[in-house]
Amino acid sequence: MILSKSSHLPNPAPLDVPASPPARRQRRKLPRNASLLVGIVLTTIFLAVALVSFFYLPSNPNIPVIRNRLLPAGTAGHWLGTDVLGRDIVAQLMVGARTSILVGAGGATLSLILGLIAGLAAASSGKIADEAISRGADILLSIPGMVTALVLAATMGSGALTTILALTAFFTPSFTRVVRSAAIGVLNEDFITAARLYGRGKIFVLIRHVLPNIAGVMIVQFTLYFAAGILTEAGLSYLGVGVHRPSISWGLMLNEAQQQVGISSPLAIWPGLAIVLMVLGLNLLGDGLRDVLDPKLARRAS
Amino acid sequence: MSQENAIEVRNLVVHNTALTAVRGLDFTLPAGARMGLVGESGSGKTLTALALMGLLPMGWQANGSVRHDGVDLITQSDRALSNRRGRTISMVFQDPLSSLDPVRRIGQQVSSVIRRHTQAGKKEAERRTVDLFRQMSLPRPEQLMRAYPHEISGGQRQRIMIAMALACYPQLIIADEPTTALDVTVQKQVLRLLNTAVQERGSALIMITHDLPIIAAMCDTVAVMYAGKIVEMGPVAEVFRHPRHHYTKGLLDSQPTMDNIALDGSSRLASIPGMVPPLHSLPAGCAFHPRCAAATEQCITQVPTLDDGPRRAACWHPIGATVPMEVA
Amino acid sequence: MAIYVLRKLAFFLGALFIASVAIFLLIRGAGGNVAAVVLGKGATPEAINALAHTYGLDRPMAVQYFDWIGNMLSGDLGRSFRTNESVADLVTARLSVSIPLAFSGLVLGLLIAIPVGTYAARNVGTPSGALFALVSQIGVAVPVFWAGILLSLLFGVRLGWLPTGGWTDWSVSPWGAIRSLVLPVLSLGLIMAAVLIRYVRSAVLDVMNQDYLRTARAVGMTRTEALLKVGLRNAALPLVTIVGLQIAELIGGTVIIETVFSLPGLSRMMLANVAAREVIVVQSTVMLIVVFVISINLIVDLLYGLLDPRVRATR
Repeated sequence: MILSKSSHLPNPAPLDVPASPPARRQRRKLPRNASLLVGIVLTTIFLAVALVSFFYLPSNPNIPVIRNRLLPAGTAGHWLGTDVLGRDIVAQLMVGARTSILVGAGGATLSLILGLIAGLAAASSGKIADEAISRGADILLSIPGMVTALVLAATMGSGALTTILALTAFFTPSFTRVVRSAAIGVLNEDFITAARLYGRGKIFVLIRHVLPNIAGVMIVQFTLYFAAGILTEAGLSYLGVGVHRPSISWGLMLNEAQQQVGISSPLAIWPGLAIVLMVLGLNLLGDGLRDVLDPKLARRAS
Repeated sequence: MSQENAIEVRNLVVHNTALTAVRGLDFTLPAGARMGLVGESGSGKTLTALALMGLLPMGWQANGSVRHDGVDLITQSDRALSNRRGRTISMVFQDPLSSLDPVRRIGQQVSSVIRRHTQAGKKEAERRTVDLFRQMSLPRPEQLMRAYPHEISGGQRQRIMIAMALACYPQLIIADEPTTALDVTVQKQVLRLLNTAVQERGSALIMITHDLPIIAAMCDTVAVMYAGKIVEMGPVAEVFRHPRHHYTKGLLDSQPTMDNIALDGSSRLASIPGMVPPLHSLPAGCAFHPRCAAATEQCITQVPTLDDGPRRAACWHPIGATVPMEVA
Repeated sequence: MAIYVLRKLAFFLGALFIASVAIFLLIRGAGGNVAAVVLGKGATPEAINALAHTYGLDRPMAVQYFDWIGNMLSGDLGRSFRTNESVADLVTARLSVSIPLAFSGLVLGLLIAIPVGTYAARNVGTPSGALFALVSQIGVAVPVFWAGILLSLLFGVRLGWLPTGGWTDWSVSPWGAIRSLVLPVLSLGLIMAAVLIRYVRSAVLDVMNQDYLRTARAVGMTRTEALLKVGLRNAALPLVTIVGLQIAELIGGTVIIETVFSLPGLSRMMLANVAAREVIVVQSTVMLIVVFVISINLIVDLLYGLLDPRVRATR
């Protein structure tokens, strides 16, 4: 399920900001950037694991070794055990990390680019173009992302590329709205008027002045959509319309595990845990970044 | 007897964990009397008002004693206080647009106050509300009942806030800068209405403002606040004509009047040198001493307190004193 | 108010039109030659052309589009290539599964989110507030299908209280149908709650800091009374909007949950047809879902207009 699709909404209040100075002395308050730290740590771990997977894997994650089937966690050489076909869980998780990152980042990046173009166009063009783009984005947002993904899978076949395109299709409208409102905030500032009075062209102003000032918002949104992309990719792979073997996805692992749920429950836990931790890490990172950039964000993005 | 006085404040201190905004206030307001509370932003006047009502924002706390309607408000629970708010003690806030519920009709908002504190039923409360609107010189009161706050003007909104505050004939009304957010042309009208309504009900009034002429017109006594303390207090006419505290004098001198403005543009408005100190780093001794022409060594080292008598000032060298003050 | 309603209706119709065009183009455009896909590899060009002609797939796109729309409006949603069943029939059978699931999931989500979010808002800056923040962050990171799997693991496999999947139809046994829905609704509801809680908290926090709450207390309401009678009513505004925007995600969640628990709902049908490249079926089903979402958004807009007098102003 695409959870952070709602990231285009006015972001809910940051979760660790008190409304006013704390009243009780014995209250133990987390440092403001606890979010950020944990987020960075988690994200780095997963990125590192994915990177390492290109150079080292405990064993082949795809070749069945039937005599090793369903080994429990803690077995020598298979720290988290093996699945029903004897394939090492750790290796599968590592390769799965690659897929999550590729697809998630791919979708988020493409949406970022398209969303930037559309959003900046909407913010800086006349009323009609703005209305058209905004309404268009609103309408596209009413097509559930899962449905778009299924439709694309029906017409183009499933796989990583289709998933990335599906992610792009439903993040771009959200991104557009975020960019648009942030850009409008900047464009209303006086220094923009000054720049235009100097004779700077519209494109120049957009690139040289608006872009750097909305960069903070963009980075935060990118992180959150990255996280949402991972959740969605897992969901699609679970349904069977995402990636297939020999590509591995945590969602795919959960699909396979569900068939074994009665026999061996740990199989259903590790991939899910991986998803939760990675998404959590990215969400914390995004929220932490938003807090750090907050004074500027509050000024620009309103 | 506390029943005779609208409110008795003793050593009111308002603080949060970081700083103390009101540093020991003392005053008594007899029933039906009118007191003006003057001060610039940062002097603590609004927090004082909120403390009296028990409506301090989260994180702020009040200590001391506030006797009203036979009890000490500081010690009362929220439930006990809510029983009195709107009934025996009420407040008019500065910004009427944000102070009214945007999604409920005006008539309902006002009549619900009446229903809350009296035995009146729905119809009776509505009838009284229409009456109130008429007293407030609001046009077409019946239609107004069904209107929403955003559909009417600022002046009308403030009159409705006043109506809400007066609906149950409270013993004390606190008005916090009630006309500051209004157009100048409307201010006088609203104040006049407030004046009449308060008089008719015999309520006591605390008028908080930085605008001295309003106090001169409406109040019997005035208290001047600076950096969380009252620095001068007394009957309005006397304090304004013969101020004893240097800050009060400075405030009065900086008021533009027709006398001190030369029409050829050559005159300058007097102003008090320096700035109001931030509450977290107040000067030692008398908080006003860095800006006072008459400051001495004593002013830096010792904190002055209000002296006794009807005309009280907290100053080591009050204006017009022939003999230096003794340490209390 | 009348003008507001008319405006919203106009947008509604416009949105339907644009969405239908988008869906049509997407499916026909990206799908390549539909007839060729249906017949698979090794089909002769003559067979492809014949099939295309039978289904009117060789007519101009615009004609096909209006034909499709016209048919849909009169209730004909097309037929499956393989089985020739009417799409309308296929869909209706499935709705008795999907709709109760989706609706209950949303209701459960709201029932949890509103009290918890309000509590979280009132306790901002306290240890319980911080704990809440942590739990909420984790909750949002949990994929809905994993929640489903874990719940079915616990209640279905380990404890054996509830079925881990499968469906007993209403007509066979209403109680059986309800039992089949308990775990799915729970999974869906919990995840929806996790998302909604953050927004409820935000909305309530915003409202808590408003002056009109202070006025409510100044005229005699206790803190709690003011929050419930005045605050919630105002917080409902952004909430209504957000629920509307979450409908699309609710559908996504329903799709997944139906698969986790093997429920014969709309999504299972769609998945099967997607796999079989049944273009017409998918096209009409998707359009149906989109119509549903856009209609919900219309209802949300109208509801908002009802609740907030400021947007109705003819200014």
